[in-house]
Parts: sequence; structure tokens; C-alpha cells
Amino acid sequence: MNVEAILMLAGTTAIAFIGTIAFTIIFHVPKKQILFVGLIGALAWLTYSICTNLGIDIVLASLISSVCLTWLSRILSFARHEPVITFLMCGIFPIVPGYGIYYTGYYFFMGDNMMGAEKGIETLKIAVAIAVGIGIVLSLPRVFFTFKKRAGEGKRV
Amino acid sequence: MNKISSIELSFEIGKSLLENGAEISRVQETMERVAKAYDVDSFNAYVLTNAIFVNGIESGEVKNTALKHIKSTRVHIGRISALNQLSREITAGDISIEAGYERLRKINEIPYSRLILTMLACAAGSMAFALLTGGSFLDSSAAFVCGFLVEGILHLLEKHKTSKFLVNLLASAFVSVLASLFVLIGFGDDSAKIIIGSIIRLVPGMALTNSIRDFFNGDYLSGSIRMIDALIVGVCIGVGVGTVIRLFSMITGGAL
Repeated sequence: MNVEAILMLAGTTAIAFIGTIAFTIIFHVPKKQILFVGLIGALAWLTYSICTNLGIDIVLASLISSVCLTWLSRILSFARHEPVITFLMCGIFPIVPGYGIYYTGYYFFMGDNMMGAEKGIETLKIAVAIAVGIGIVLSLPRVFFTFKKRAGEGKRV
Repeated sequence: MNKISSIELSFEIGKSLLENGAEISRVQETMERVAKAYDVDSFNAYVLTNAIFVNGIESGEVKNTALKHIKSTRVHIGRISALNQLSREITAGDISIEAGYERLRKINEIPYSRLILTMLACAAGSMAFALLTGGSFLDSSAAFVCGFLVEGILHLLEKHKTSKFLVNLLASAFVSVLASLFVLIGFGDDSAKIIIGSIIRLVPGMALTNSIRDFFNGDYLSGSIRMIDALIVGVCIGVGVGTVIRLFSMITGGAL
């Protein structure tokens, strides 16, 4: 990667950070957590763009990105005693397939059924990839996220 | 209904969680935790996306509570977070039942953000995502205006209790009309970028996430409900956008 690409990546990551923070206001995320949610959104975008830049296809990129962002969400959720949904809900905005929904609708209504079906299936695949990524990380036991063993305490965050 | 009952309190906390958009497993766990903290003799709760059923024995008395049809319309993470904190304190044994009711009442009164603030937030968000999809500065400025207005439209439709189908259909169609008009008058280069940026607000990321959480926890019924919800919202957005673009391309003869 050359300098220009890295600058571009940094710039778009900053934009993802700001965009995610904007959505935290709509969903009433507590003020203390807003910056952390922004970080998660930025991480989501960063991992997604690095993957696509490396030539990984967008379905797999979405999966990797959703695993990373959910992982960080759970770490923060334990560290800051917050429900994981606080971080996750707005954090996934940078990778949700709004792009796919648009082009699916576009091609179907413009009469290009082949392209419409292709985009529709791709959108579904991305949605499933994000969902599976989140689901896997959420079902991992807590020792993966707390860095210290507190077994037996039985407290859920 | 006896107001000073730990089963009632647990039920009310669960109800509030569900109404503000928490996932099923969290609601169920929190309710059981609260009931256990107050040493209820027996407690069973069954939670669905839109209903809670509770059955328990408290000081020798059988109590049944059922709530149907919760309209989970607006997400309020601040309240979920506060309820989570409350349940932790109850579990630690610091809070009496009366104090619990008082705290719950205060949590349910945490206000929503002011409309103008959410409109500005939605505008800024739409602008950012228009830039992320590769839009020019002009596109993102147009998305700013679209995002600002779409949040207002959503608020308006919600106030008149419009169905979910119609809300998403109308909002996405509205965005598309606006974006196409903007491009026609030269305020924006690519209507696709403007529309994609502005429909991010509508995309059902939340429903999808919650549905998956429910699936992985074995709550298949609730998971399916939310999954269908996410799918329908997605389809509605696609239809809203597609219809308008088709109409515009017919009117302008394919200029867009």
C-alpha cells in the first residue's frame, strides 16, 4: 500500500467514527459511552476496508469485520459494565449493506432481473455474514474478553 | 394488583427492557436475577418479542402476570443501560423493593433526545455514510439535507402510528425523490450515493443483530420474528427506492 492509500484509509475511518457517533444520538446511547461506540464503528470500517483492499471479497470482509467489532464490543462491555448492545447497535452501522439494498431495488425496478437477483443474494449473504460473525463472538465464554479469570463470580454484564 | 411485590417489580423491569429494544435473553435473565435476589419461592418467566408471561410463588401466594403486544417502537439504549445497572444493584442486595420501583419509575422517565438534535444527528450520519460510499462533497451535502428531513418524516409518521411497512416505504421513497430532484437541479452528482447515505438510518441492523442473538441463545421463535422483521424492512426500503427511481427514469427519459 502506498502513502495515498493509507491517508485515504485514515480519512474514511475518521468519517466512519463521526458517522457512528451521529447515530448514537438517535438511539440515546449514554453520553459516557459515545466515544467508545465511535471507536467500534471506526474499527468496523477499518477492518472492512483493509480486507477489501487486500482483495478479499465483501462477504468475507463483512464477516471478519463483524467478528472484530463484536470482540471489541464485548471487551468494552465487560470493562465498562454496560450491556453489549450499547456498543454493538450503532457500531455495526458502517458495515450494514445499505449499498446492496439500494442496488437490489434499483436493478429489479429498472427491469434488470438478473442483476437484481445477483445484488439481492449478495446483500443477503452480507447480512448473514455479519449476523454469523456477531453470533459466534457473542456465544464465546467470557474468559476471552476479560483478560483475567473471575470464574465462579457468575456476574453477567 | 399488589404494588409491593418482587414478582411485579421483576415483570415491570422486563417490560421496560423489552419496550426499549433489549434482546430476549437479556430480558429473561434480568427478570430471573431480580426475582432471585428477592428470594421468591418460585419464578418462571417466558419472554417473546412482543409478550411476557410470568408465573411465580411469593410468600405462599401464587402470582400470574401476562403482558401481550408490546409495541417496541423506539430504541432507547440509555434506558437499557440504566436498567442493567439497576439489576446489578438489586442482585448485589443493595435495593429494597420500594426503592426498586422508585428507580424503575425514574428510568422510564429518562427523556428522548429533542427532535432537532436527532434530526441534526441523522443529517450528520447520512453525510458521513454518503462520503464513505464514495460520494463527492456535493453528494454528501445533499445527503445532509435528506438525512435531516428523513428523521423528521420518521418522527411524523411515528406520531400518527403508521405501520412499519408504510413508514419504511414512504421514508425511502421520500429520500429517493429528494435525491433525484437534487441531482436534477445540480445539487449533487450521483443520486445513488445520496440515497445510500440517507437510507442507512432505515436499514434494520438492530433487528438483524437482535435476531441473531436470539437464535444463538436458542430463542428460535423470537429470532424468527425479528428476522422476518429485518427482511420486511429491507424489502420495503428496496421497493420504495426502486419505484421512485423507475418513475424518475420514465419521466426524464433515462437521464438518471
